[in-house]
Amino acid sequence: MPPILPDFSNSVKLKYVKLGYQYLVNHILTLTLIPIMAAIFIEVLRMGPDEISNLWKSLHFDLVQILCSAFLIIFIATVYFMSKPRTIFLVDYACFKPPITCRVPFATFMEHSRLNLKNNPKSVEFQMRILERSGLGEETCLPPAIHYIPPKPTMEAARGEAELVIFSAMDSLFEKTGLNPKDIDILIVNCSLFSPTPSLSAMVINKYKLRSNIKSFNLSGMGCSAGLISIDLARDLLQVHPNSNAVIVSTEIITPNYYQGNERAMLLPNCLFRMGGAAILLSNRRSESRRAKYRLVHVVRTHKGADDKAYRCVYEEEDKESKVGISLSKDLMAIAGEALKSNITTIGPLVLPASEQLLFLLTLIGRKIFNPKWKPYIPDFKQAFEHFCIHAGGRAVIDELQKNLQLSSEHVEASRMALHRFGNTSSSSLWYELSYIEAKGRMKRGDRVWQIAFGSGFKCNSAVWKCNQSIKAPTDGPWADCIDRYPVHIPEIVKL
Amino acid sequence: MSSKKSRVSVHSKLTVVPSKPSGSVKTNPLSSLDHAMGLHSLHMVFYYKKNPFGSFELDPLRESLSGVISLYPNVTGRLTRLENGNWAVKCHDAGVRVIRAEVSATLDEWLRSADGSEEKDLTVWEEMPQEPNTWSPFRVQINDFEGGGVAIGLSCSHMLADLTSAILLFKSWTEVSRREPIEHPPFFNSLALHGQLVPNKHTQLGKYYATKSEEQFQASVKMATATFKFSNSVIKQCLYEVNQNCPNATPFELLAGLFWSRITRLKGPKSYNTHSLSICMDSRRLLQDPLPIGYFGNAFHFSQLSLKGEEIGHCELGHVVELVHNRVLGIKEEEFSSVMNWFEAQKGEGGKFAPPFRMYGPELTCISLEHMLVPSKVTGSINMTSLIYAATFDKDEKPVHMSCHVGNVEGEGLIVVMPSMEEGLARTVLVTLPEEELAELCEDQAILRLEPTMLLSGKR
Repeated sequence: MPPILPDFSNSVKLKYVKLGYQYLVNHILTLTLIPIMAAIFIEVLRMGPDEISNLWKSLHFDLVQILCSAFLIIFIATVYFMSKPRTIFLVDYACFKPPITCRVPFATFMEHSRLNLKNNPKSVEFQMRILERSGLGEETCLPPAIHYIPPKPTMEAARGEAELVIFSAMDSLFEKTGLNPKDIDILIVNCSLFSPTPSLSAMVINKYKLRSNIKSFNLSGMGCSAGLISIDLARDLLQVHPNSNAVIVSTEIITPNYYQGNERAMLLPNCLFRMGGAAILLSNRRSESRRAKYRLVHVVRTHKGADDKAYRCVYEEEDKESKVGISLSKDLMAIAGEALKSNITTIGPLVLPASEQLLFLLTLIGRKIFNPKWKPYIPDFKQAFEHFCIHAGGRAVIDELQKNLQLSSEHVEASRMALHRFGNTSSSSLWYELSYIEAKGRMKRGDRVWQIAFGSGFKCNSAVWKCNQSIKAPTDGPWADCIDRYPVHIPEIVKL
Repeated sequence: MSSKKSRVSVHSKLTVVPSKPSGSVKTNPLSSLDHAMGLHSLHMVFYYKKNPFGSFELDPLRESLSGVISLYPNVTGRLTRLENGNWAVKCHDAGVRVIRAEVSATLDEWLRSADGSEEKDLTVWEEMPQEPNTWSPFRVQINDFEGGGVAIGLSCSHMLADLTSAILLFKSWTEVSRREPIEHPPFFNSLALHGQLVPNKHTQLGKYYATKSEEQFQASVKMATATFKFSNSVIKQCLYEVNQNCPNATPFELLAGLFWSRITRLKGPKSYNTHSLSICMDSRRLLQDPLPIGYFGNAFHFSQLSLKGEEIGHCELGHVVELVHNRVLGIKEEEFSSVMNWFEAQKGEGGKFAPPFRMYGPELTCISLEHMLVPSKVTGSINMTSLIYAATFDKDEKPVHMSCHVGNVEGEGLIVVMPSMEEGLARTVLVTLPEEELAELCEDQAILRLEPTMLLSGKR
């Protein structure tokens, strides 16, 4: 609520004032131009053709002047069009659907926890409390190696999981887009915790026999926000290479990183991280503009690593028994909030309509000059975007963002339902959420989507997409068999 | 007691969960008969020449196992105690334990040379702990033989299933893997077995169960198992021989009578003693309101047949078979209700069932699986096909053999009469006796006269 006006929170009058203000400021150019053009038109009509030709002759234009002006105009126009960045299209994407044999119901997870941590009932209790409040459902999946008692995280099993996830997603992508593997010019694979030699991107090139002059990249160690980092990298590459296709594979391989010790802070990821992956096709070819689903508008990356606390908040280390795990610090939510604020400050001016920016500017000036006690104005991002995809890092993250950005439950529904059905699938969770929105038939042409991801480091990355064509609810995809059951009500605490 | 190293080595243990979530968590109470079987466990092994499993991790057979157990919520749940102390199954999809092992022998070698105690390694079992909330009552064990061949073992707590239920569960798995509809879908209702409570006519039956419950067993005698396969023609011949005494004898009655008389003779018939045989039969179809064969739970009935020592010693086979036949025919509805009544009468305060006792024992117990033979679906065939050997993963790849054992059998021993792979009247008899008696039985002329093929009897 802008502090300029008195406090009429729920007044209807205020709503109309706000609407009027927004319409006025957002369309100010149109509103000023139309009267001017109307005035000129009426003047021209009034003058009549003779007077116009007399006016023209009195200007004494000669040929040289006319030609120079024409060249100048053409030159400026060319420079403008050449320096415009290429449009990046998201042609289509495919999410990995885990096989039913990998399902982990709550009862099985707790039973394995009790059997594997026989001597640590406190740790088992802790895991149960986390699972009860996690927001996960009974259909999330863990890779085959973790179903063993005790788990068998061999390198072979990790490669097996990588092959299963990545190849399934890519086969699905090829089928959906009709892409020929030989047409891939750029390949980016991001998987944070599993980085074998040869790399996962080499594994993909080997399997699909991709071209020898392909530009391949493998991003590892960059956390859950690596998906958007890959998008950013692909965008930059597609500016340099005309007429190219880029395939991005985002996944997280769980097999080698399942923590086998007793330290509580490190047991938390075991409860939340689940199997998942996505393959995305980006292109800068003009021919794709007809069938592409989305257009990339902005990518904004914010890194808080300069701050020591932020750097250490998600930290991989050995516990007292030399077992490796990822330790999450207690300040995680606070640091995430800070990183988000930083990201919003950068993305706000790019996406917010003029009305919101003006209000923000006015309150900023007001706070600096008049009264520092005025509450800072939180811009209403709901006016900039129709859909939100918040990384399903955990229930707490989604709750925090919903509060900070003042989003309704429908806005965060995609994130909550993706967390319930698939768990925290790390960098690919954004794509499961986008797939949910499409499966519900809510994606219309011109809709803007904001994808926000957090990751270790501590990073907060955003991507803004604009829907290119209305998307009919797809009959395939990871939500195909269960979308009718959603949305479900997720209780605060599930009784286990 | 040979302490040779076991040829079976277990290398992994995992849990297979049902493919569909069961929705809300239900707690299914167990019936009185279920509670009574609490001390026992069932172990079945199906042997296949060709291993239907491919890679195992993502094998379609694992998917079909997940699919079939989602239809059997009792199988994937865990045992829990109700408020009144009775047992129930909490159906929350915890899953079935699957164990993988390798056998350092080929399938044929194994069938020739292994014995009952080695076969136990194919269905490794751990007894129910005090707190069974992380204990899986059903376990599947996949044993790979050298050179192909596999033995799939299914073990379960006797509280949740009897032989019929366990065999049909396995058969349903094979049907799901062949993508065919399940022929005998499971039926869960523990109250279905409680017949009308008629006044207790058969007090003798009550006494029989009471004696069982009071029997204290001394230090266990080492038991050994042998398997005798009798061909169709031999059984036919035998039935013809006893035709005079007993024109309508079934192969079960013939073999039960034969083995009982031979074993009693071995033990040394004492003229003044009565020798008893406990006949164990499936009661599903014999009830007045017949239960579907898919009823999942315990529905086997134990009835007693006693003979004086001299009768066994001196009379011929035909007479014994006739007695068995008459006893089997005499099992009627009233017997079942009186058993139920007896169990109800044993209930303590709050409706808690009495602690379980050894149902299999102390006398020689003989289990009949004749009900596993159903009319053949092949048009024009008058044969009966065995449901056991219909458990084929790949079409036409029937199991080479099926064994079943009961855990914690004490007393004189156990005989299981099962249909064989060969159709018709052929039968396979599994005999568990104290070691020395079994050795003598295998040399017994009356049995060897019938030219049995010996399997899984150790090196003989």
